[in-house]
Amino acid sequence: MVVLREGMCPGLDEDLLRDLRAADIKTVEDLVSSDIEGLAQKCSVSYKALFAIRRVLLAQHTAFPVSGADLYEELLSSTAILSTGNPSLDKLLDSGLYTGEITELSGGPGSGKSQVCFGVAVHISYQLKQSVIYIDTTGGLAASRLLQMLQAETSNTEEQMEALQRIHVFRLFDVYALLGCLYSLRSGGLQQASVGGGSVKAVIVDSVSAVISPLLGGKQNEGMSLMIQVAGVLKTMAKDFNVAALVTNHVTRSGSGEVQPGLGVSWSHIPRTRILLERVEKAVAVSRPSLRSAKLIKSSRQPCHIKEEFDLQWWSRSEKGSSGKRKLDETDS
Amino acid sequence: MSESGAQLLARLEARRCLKDIEPRLFPEDGGPDQGAVVELFGLEGTGKTELLYHLLCRCVLPEAAGGLEVDVVFVDTDYSLDMLHLVSILDSKLSAALLAGADEAALRSCLSRLLVVHCYSSSQLLLTLHFLETTLSSRPALALILIDSISAFYWVDRCEDGVSYTKQEEKLSRCAELLGRLLRDYRITVFATCHAIRRPAVPSSSSDSERSYLCRSWQRLVTHRLLCSRQKPGNNVAGEGGDDQEQRRHQIFTVHCTTSSSMVKASWSSSFCVTEAGVEFLLESEENKCAARQ
Repeated sequence: MVVLREGMCPGLDEDLLRDLRAADIKTVEDLVSSDIEGLAQKCSVSYKALFAIRRVLLAQHTAFPVSGADLYEELLSSTAILSTGNPSLDKLLDSGLYTGEITELSGGPGSGKSQVCFGVAVHISYQLKQSVIYIDTTGGLAASRLLQMLQAETSNTEEQMEALQRIHVFRLFDVYALLGCLYSLRSGGLQQASVGGGSVKAVIVDSVSAVISPLLGGKQNEGMSLMIQVAGVLKTMAKDFNVAALVTNHVTRSGSGEVQPGLGVSWSHIPRTRILLERVEKAVAVSRPSLRSAKLIKSSRQPCHIKEEFDLQWWSRSEKGSSGKRKLDETDS
Repeated sequence: MSESGAQLLARLEARRCLKDIEPRLFPEDGGPDQGAVVELFGLEGTGKTELLYHLLCRCVLPEAAGGLEVDVVFVDTDYSLDMLHLVSILDSKLSAALLAGADEAALRSCLSRLLVVHCYSSSQLLLTLHFLETTLSSRPALALILIDSISAFYWVDRCEDGVSYTKQEEKLSRCAELLGRLLRDYRITVFATCHAIRRPAVPSSSSDSERSYLCRSWQRLVTHRLLCSRQKPGNNVAGEGGDDQEQRRHQIFTVHCTTSSSMVKASWSSSFCVTEAGVEFLLESEENKCAARQ
């Protein structure tokens, strides 16, 4: 709702504003939807002048149609696919995270969502040499873990430091701070973060359900509205700045007992791709506690319900065949 | 409001009737007439946006490739338009028709019939619909408006405007009324998706979750309602992660159409699955074949 103010467009002066308010026209939407002829008579202003004002205001506030051909050309040149660094996960995602979309990672406690986010951030900042924005709402991010993962990729401390500098971390613990941070990123923060490194290619929010699920339920609708606002800002940021958005979510049990991602039905329409992470039970017997399985539950590119297994310890190597890189010591604290 | 001679002509000139846009979705002779509003309702992942792409392709393709050659406006309210996916469907349909002309040029001409608008709030949607009126009068080939989705601002509006339902629904009601006027004056057709916000508590009984929750003005406007749902994938436990083709064939989506327009109240069910070339409808016998395999 855009309130009419004087000086918004040529011809909209104080007297006219007063007359319009007297005729119950307070916002741009009211003016555009009302009958111009009748209004011109009531406010004793010429029909032509009012019609011109309406046209200027409409042009200022409407969204312009774009031809499909132009949109396609633009997308061809700006969409990128970011590999996550893990071949199994890439196979599931049809070669990686797509820019301009939201990808969701859901899983129970200890299923490895944060570890996957670390792996993605490290891969993008070290291998692809692009910046990453990491928004941590659970307090689970430790720079020492990121350093540990980088040390497995390279032993050159300068490169490690450079890669760490390309990961920008924001720590917030409630939804209003999250909204504030996202809005400020959208209006200039992303350009600032891109200075001195690669441009920002990914925004990771770990986790989005930690700040929203306490507000859901009950009779108030404010929680739902805030959730949809967060989704809206993430989507516009992803589309306008060509970044890939990765969010994590918790899980709940559905009526029939099966595990499903949390935040309800209204959130389920938001992410374009959804992955469910689970521990692999048989791995406990085989003493590989870091084995995880990922199942694709929503995708517009792949058939659903395909599963892949991967090991959290060796992020950039697939199940079959490890290259000769060092295995991380388990005793590292 | 007075209109110029050109505007009058553009308004009265007959726009393409889209009754035959997809006969497999609608009952006999019950396709969307001029001025019809079709609502696609369903949970996530039930194929609503895929159906919209299918209808879009049918409209913009040249007649030689089985299309209707009409202009289409796509109003995108939740940034879900995947142009690359759409272009791959158009490409496969164009090459299937084995057109003699250059592929690039054919693709460009199809895409130039499509206009895309992104809206990020319901007030912007209202203003954009007003703006579209000028586009409608200047493009007599424009016969279809696709809105994906009309329910994107539901929760934000509920919270923004106070406690009374009327105030909360005011913006969407105004959009619906404006759409109604555009439908009457310009004789276009509208298809809109609406996301379900309630999952049925017991999978078999779904009447409560299928009820429309948007404002009355929108509900009055809707003439055809397509309820989309997804059938559970087949019991191929042994084939997990195995044959991709097998998996795809078992992902069947069903559409149930109810019309409340004209004198006849009719309903019709159809099923489809999603392939590389877009939506593929299943014939009756194929449906039974898949069921038997399960």
